[in-house]
Amino acid sequence: MSNPDPSKMKQDCPEKNECLKMLQLILDGEATSEQKDHFLKNHLEECMPCYKNYHLEVAIRQLLKTKCCQDAPQELVDDIKTKVINNLAR
Amino acid sequence: MELEENSPKQNYTEAEKQTIFHGEFMPHINSMYNFAYRLTLDADDAKDLLQDTYLKAYRFIESFQKGTNAKAWLFRILKNSFINDYRKKSKEPSKVDYQEVESYYNSEEVDRQITPDLRVEALKDMIGDEISNALNALDVDFRTVIILCDLEGFKYEEMAKILDIPIGTVRSRLHRARNLLKEKLSEYAKQMGYKTA
Ligand SMILES: [Zn+2]
Ligand SMILES: [Zn+2]
Repeated sequence: MSNPDPSKMKQDCPEKNECLKMLQLILDGEATSEQKDHFLKNHLEECMPCYKNYHLEVAIRQLLKTKCCQDAPQELVDDIKTKVINNLAR
Repeated sequence: MELEENSPKQNYTEAEKQTIFHGEFMPHINSMYNFAYRLTLDADDAKDLLQDTYLKAYRFIESFQKGTNAKAWLFRILKNSFINDYRKKSKEPSKVDYQEVESYYNSEEVDRQITPDLRVEALKDMIGDEISNALNALDVDFRTVIILCDLEGFKYEEMAKILDIPIGTVRSRLHRARNLLKEKLSEYAKQMGYKTA
């Protein structure tokens, strides 16, 4: 996606909520390539609310990934392995 | 995917079981821990839930077909264990409350009401626990779909199987969940001094 010219963009989207749903389908990898092409190439560059929504959705996903994933404590991992191995021995 | 019934039982040697356990189950342990932690919101409960799940997975290993989607299979066991063993005793709202919540959030009206005005710049300043707290504050069913989709990258179809709900429900629940998350985040943004238009 290139950088669109804000002055040429619509400031209002009549179907903002439907567009948001489509946007989420696309970002979730669940949209068809036609839906994707139409939305990303045609709609997004001319519609300010949807353009903003796109960047917001992407930013939230990035933030979730960097801030909401924690690894299992190593002690717990070892513990589980040991329990299963003991289980095998029985 | 199925844990007990309708899955053809495999016949594995002890060595094969070990290979599957270490090669296909253990690689998902960090994602599984995170899921357990985000569901229970308690480090000790998460530990127990994870341990129960892995021991259960081992016990039912012959219901798992080698080389299929181990991650989805494990996530489904964990989610079922959570519902059966933890959700009951926790202070989570009951199923009835939840259905009210969901039908409320499924009304089109709410879609129009919830148009959180949140800006990317505000998100960039959320370098602490804001997003984590916002996620944890969501009702567990909304929290779950965000974890499965945005953190773990499951497809809608896989999520439908893990959660035993139709794909349409996955899609709508996810949409509501994201609106609710944005709502929480815009509260933080406001507190941080970002004006909402
Ligand atoms: Zn639009
Ligand atoms: Zn549109």
